[in-house]
Amino acid sequence: MSSLKERRAEFARYKQDVKERGKPFYPHAMFHDTIMALVVVAVIIGLTCIWYFTTSEEPGDAGLLGPRYAEKADPGTISFVPRPDWYFYFLFYLLRIFKWPESVILGTVGIPTILVLLLIALPFVDRRMERRLSRRPIAVIAAALVVASMAVLTWKGATAKENVASEALAEVPQWIEKNKLPAEAEPGAELFAGSGCLNCHVYLGGGAQALGAPDLTDAGAKNRGVEWQIEHLKCPACVNPGSPMPGFAALGDDQLRELAIFLEASKGPGGG
Amino acid sequence: MGAPYRRRHARRRQAEAAMLAPVNWVEERSGLVGGIRYFLFRNVPSDISWAQTLGSAALTAFIVQAVTGVILAMYYKPDPDKAYESIQFITNELTWGWLVRGMHRWGASVFIILLFLHMGRVFLFGAYKYPRELNWLIGVGLLALGMLEGFTGYLLPWDQTSYWATVVGINIQASGPFVGPFLANVLRGGAEIGSETLARFYAIHMLLIPGGLIGLIGLHLYLVMRLGVTSPPWSRKAAGRKRDPEAETRRQGLVEPRSRRGWRSGR
Ligand code: HEC
Ligand code: HEM
Repeated sequence: MSSLKERRAEFARYKQDVKERGKPFYPHAMFHDTIMALVVVAVIIGLTCIWYFTTSEEPGDAGLLGPRYAEKADPGTISFVPRPDWYFYFLFYLLRIFKWPESVILGTVGIPTILVLLLIALPFVDRRMERRLSRRPIAVIAAALVVASMAVLTWKGATAKENVASEALAEVPQWIEKNKLPAEAEPGAELFAGSGCLNCHVYLGGGAQALGAPDLTDAGAKNRGVEWQIEHLKCPACVNPGSPMPGFAALGDDQLRELAIFLEASKGPGGG
Repeated sequence: MGAPYRRRHARRRQAEAAMLAPVNWVEERSGLVGGIRYFLFRNVPSDISWAQTLGSAALTAFIVQAVTGVILAMYYKPDPDKAYESIQFITNELTWGWLVRGMHRWGASVFIILLFLHMGRVFLFGAYKYPRELNWLIGVGLLALGMLEGFTGYLLPWDQTSYWATVVGINIQASGPFVGPFLANVLRGGAEIGSETLARFYAIHMLLIPGGLIGLIGLHLYLVMRLGVTSPPWSRKAAGRKRDPEAETRRQGLVEPRSRRGWRSGR
């Protein structure tokens, strides 16, 4: 750690050096800044053109960079992919790693908070004058680790498998067989398969796990009853405090009951 | 040739004085011209180059966002029944609308990337150290606000992707400890995500956060001017470097060995 006196002396030297041996901002630095500004605007316009000219007016037509828009928002459907913008992918993927309820908070709130605190603490922890990378091994290794893990998580989030409704629907007969579902559970099973549930939940090995949501293969094993399932689907956080699962009250009572019957009938392979 | 030349010369001087009059008027009453002159002609370290353009690149992206955002606000309707249709109208029908919306959308990503790159360069150069700690903290605030701006803007097109991502995002907020549920309620503006939520996100996205960003950027740039930018740590001419006394005498004294002079620096 360098003393404040040393650091002040260094800054005084800096000011003097700049005054005596610096170069004027205009035109030298201004030249670089202007070129860079032009590059930035050109890249933005370039991306826009690729995006626009490879897509059509059709909602969801992905082109090279993603669609112009998806279908209009509809709280009453459940076939959706909850996907944030790319710079939140690393968080999004963290949610798949952690498990509800023990450690999800760690992923959703804990890790972002820790990252921000680290950034805030940095200039107060590292108080040496030394700026050469070869003399700052800890800082360099820590930064490399953070960058590498963010990059991996972002990549994983970007390529994470999404549930495809048609594939899941094709699985329904197998579910009925393996989980020995009664006939009245079939409409609910189809609803479940064709909807967004499998973007967070796993059922008999299918679907994608996110937000630490539980495997629903044996959702009915606790025998809490159809009414409980309906209450939970309507407002998950009312039944399981702190639940990040969205509420599905907008589906309407009939569909909710079908789903609930299906869930309650799922006792796991072998009938639970 | 003498007389006409002198007359032309006098006329030019008059024209120049007329042109400068408003500038002088402003300068006398505000000192702004002097400020701009200071900004342009202040010295910066002789060894800075491309790495130090990332901050102004981020500023450029921010300006693109501000300009395109104002245009979008003229056509966008923050109402669940109209938002999606107004986005479709802007993208497909409005003249140049696709360009404006596309630049706003992709500009946001470019802005975030540039923030990270700029932060990375500040980190690698050790430029967060004394006396620039405060400017680093302001930067952390800018990064956080930038990402919040992305989160709130994402809902506005009101399509399935943006809607459900926001549902999950707000639910995550609600699962946070202590203030989590309260903040989620404030964002949502009710039990369900609906017109209240959209209005709130819109106000936050186009007034609250941009205001905060502009204020912080102003402070940030003021500090950059006041403290100056850091030389690359590996530079042999880094401003503020420790001198070994022998080289120092050589510099002050009579000989400066040729090999020590950068061929481009002119010094
Ligand atoms: C955004 C992710 C997400 C989606 C989409 C989602 N869930 Fe969940 N679900 C969760 C999480 C997280 C939990 C654990 C917290 C809880 O119990 O509420 C959970 C829990 C459950 C439980 C177990 C409750 C318990 O205490 O045993 C059931 C049953 C359930 N979900 C059914 C559904 C159904 C049916 C759908 C589709 C209509 C669905 N989920 C959609 C995230 C999701
Ligand atoms: C809106 C966002 C931002 C804008 C417009 C901006 C702009 C600038 C500009 C123009 C400079 C001058 C030197 C350079 O360009 O590198 C600078 C320097 C600096 N920035 Fe930023 N910046 C932003 C965000 C950030 C962030 C996210 C951080 C870090 C957390 C940060 C920390 C710093 C520091 C410490 C300096 C001083 C660097 C030095 O002395 O070399 N800034 N910023």
